[in-house]
Amino acid sequence: MHQRSLRTRLLVTFGLGSFVLSSLFASLTYFGVLNILINNQQSTDLKQSYENATLVRNTLATNPSELTSTLNSIEKATNTQVLVRTQGQWLSESSGAQPPEISASAITAADNGIVTEQTVRFGNEDIYIVAIPIPSVHSQYFEVFGLSSLSNTLRTLLELLALGALAISGIGILGGLWATRRVVKPLQEVSEAAALIAEGELSTRLSVTNADREVQQLSDSFNEMVSQLVERLERDARFASDVSHELRSPLTTVVTTAAILQQHRAELSPAGQESLDLLSADLAIFQALVEDLLEMARNDAGATPHVSETVAAVELVNQSARSASRRLGIEVPPIELGVTVKNPHIIVDRRRFERVIANLLDNATRYASGVVAIRVECTAGNFIVNVDDAGSGIGADERSQVFERFFRGRMAHDRSSVRGTGLGLALVKEHILAFDGSIAALESPEGGARMQISIPISSEGYA
Amino acid sequence: MPRILIVEDDDHIRSALRLMFEGEGFEIDDAPSGEVGVAMFTRMASDIAIVDIMLPGMSGFDTCKQIREVSDCPIVIVSARDQTADVVLGLESGADDYVTKPFIPEELLARVKAHLRRRPEKSANSFSLGELTVIPDEGIVKKGDGSELHLTSTEFRLLTDLASMNGKVLSREDLLERVWGYDYFGDTRLVDVHMRRLRTKIEPDPANPTFLITVRGTGYKLVL
Repeated sequence: MHQRSLRTRLLVTFGLGSFVLSSLFASLTYFGVLNILINNQQSTDLKQSYENATLVRNTLATNPSELTSTLNSIEKATNTQVLVRTQGQWLSESSGAQPPEISASAITAADNGIVTEQTVRFGNEDIYIVAIPIPSVHSQYFEVFGLSSLSNTLRTLLELLALGALAISGIGILGGLWATRRVVKPLQEVSEAAALIAEGELSTRLSVTNADREVQQLSDSFNEMVSQLVERLERDARFASDVSHELRSPLTTVVTTAAILQQHRAELSPAGQESLDLLSADLAIFQALVEDLLEMARNDAGATPHVSETVAAVELVNQSARSASRRLGIEVPPIELGVTVKNPHIIVDRRRFERVIANLLDNATRYASGVVAIRVECTAGNFIVNVDDAGSGIGADERSQVFERFFRGRMAHDRSSVRGTGLGLALVKEHILAFDGSIAALESPEGGARMQISIPISSEGYA
Repeated sequence: MPRILIVEDDDHIRSALRLMFEGEGFEIDDAPSGEVGVAMFTRMASDIAIVDIMLPGMSGFDTCKQIREVSDCPIVIVSARDQTADVVLGLESGADDYVTKPFIPEELLARVKAHLRRRPEKSANSFSLGELTVIPDEGIVKKGDGSELHLTSTEFRLLTDLASMNGKVLSREDLLERVWGYDYFGDTRLVDVHMRRLRTKIEPDPANPTFLITVRGTGYKLVL
C-alpha cells in the first residue's frame, strides 16, 4: 500500500492553504478597490460633465461663436475629449465628423433627452462616456473620459497584490516546513528509538529537553513505557534466573545422591535398579534443562558478558567436536575441510562456541541416529560449519521452527523415548546470533538434516 | 587412601558429597565454614580441598587463599556462581579448578581423581628460564640465589608440559587435557588465569612476558 508521508501532506496543506487564502484576499481587495475607485472617478466625472454642459449651454445661448474656444479650454482643463452636437451637427475642438467612440444608443438617448453614461472598451483603453442633452439650445453634450490612469493604478495594485499573495504562499510553505519539522522530527525520533529498542538497545531513551509540551508528554510517556518494559523484562529474566539458581542446591544433592545409589546398585533389587535407572536418566535431563534455562535466562537478561576473542576457526571446531564427543560419549566423524578453507579466524566466545558445536552434535545423535559428517567451508567472507545427520531430514515446514524454544517436531514425536531439554537448538541460535552469525536448517547431500552455521571471518585473523 | 577436605555450608550437599567420595574409598573431613575448614586442613593434612564460595563468615575465596598459604595441594571450587568474574576470582585466590553446581557427580569425581593422580613427568630434563632453574625430577624451581620458588602442582605441570613441546604451541584445550587430565567442557578460563598467575611468578616483567608467550587465536608456547 502506498503511504503518503505526513511531511508531504503537511507541506501541501500549508502551501496550498496559504496560497488559496492569500489569492482570495488579494482578489477581494482588488475588486473592492476597483469598484470604489471607478465609482468615485465616474461620479466626479459626471458632476464635471454637468458643469461643462452648463457652460456649453451658456456659451451657445449667449455667444455661439466662442464655442470652439470654450470646448478647447474645457478639454485642456479636464484632459478629456468633449463633443457637442447641435441640430445633428457635430462640433468638436478638432473636426465635425461623428467620433467613433460614441455609440449610437448614447446619441439616440441624448436626442430623446435622457442622460446616459457608459463605460466601454475602445481600442486599448477603457473609456467613460457621458451624454447630456441640452434641450434649451437643441444640443447634446458628450464628454469622453479616459480611464487609463485609473487602469495603471489598478494594474500596479494588482501586481502588488499578486506579489503579496506569492510572498504569503512562500511564508506559508516556510511555516509548513517549520511546523512539519516540529511535528515530524519528534515522531521520527520516537520511531528511531523504538527501532533501536526493538533491536535490543534497551538503554535507548528519548531526550525530553527543548520540546513542545505535547512532544514532551509523548517522550515522557514513551520513556516511561520503555523503562517499565525493561524493568519487566529484567524481572522476568531475574525470575527465571532465580528459579534456576534456587534449584541448583537441591538438585546438586539429588544428583549426587543418585550417583551414590548407583555406587550401591548391586545391593538393590531388580525393581530398585530399574527405578534408579529411570531416576538417573530423567535427573540428567532435568539437570541439563536447569543449565539451559539458566544460560537462556542470563542471555535474556544480558547478564553474561561475552568474552570475545579471535580464534583459529578450524582448530576450534576440531577441539569442540573432540571435547563434545568425549563428554557426550558419542561417535563424531573427522572434520571434512572444503578446498576453500585456508586458516580462517573468527571472533567468538569460546565457551559459547563449544556449546554450539556440542549441542548440534548432541541433537544429531539424539534425534537422527548420529552425525554423518562435519563439513567446513569458507564462502564470501563467512566461515561455515555444516553438521549433517543420518536422519530422514526435517520437513520444509518445520525448518524455521526448530530453533524455537521447546519446539518438538514430528521427528521428536516419532522417537518419543528420546528426551532432550528442547532448548538446545534455541541456545545454539542465540549464541550464533551473538557472534553476528546465522544458522539455518537445510538438507544434507545424503538426505538427512543439515544444520549450517555461518560466522563472519575476522579480517585481522591472519596475523 | 587420599584425604579430601569438603568445605560446604549446605548440610545436604555436604552429606551427599561425603557419601559419594566415601563410596569411592576416600577419607573425608568436612567443615560447614571456611574458618573450621582451614583449621581442619592444617590438622588433617588433606590431599585435596573442595571449597564452596558462598559460605557464612569467611568466604570461599579467602578460604582458598589461606589454604594456599600453607599448601600447594589441589583446591577445587564447587559453586553455584558461574559468572566469569567469580571463576577468575576463585582461580586467582589459588584454586586449581572450578566446578559449577549442579555438577555431574561422575565429572567431579573424575576431576578430583585427575588432580590427585597428577605428578610432574619424571622423565623430563631440567631447564632454565632466565635466572630460574626448573627441575622436573624433584618438582621444584630454584631461583638464581638457590632458594626455592613455590609453584602449585598445576602451575608446575603447565610449565613442564609447555617445556616438553620445545617451543611449539599448545592450544588451551590441549593444555586442559594434559595438565588438568580430564576432558573439560571448554572452560579455557582455567588455562588463562593459571597462565597469568604463572607469569607473575616466573616472568621478570609479567606485563611483557618473554618466556610464556600467548599465540593469538591458538594457545601458548614456552620460549626457552
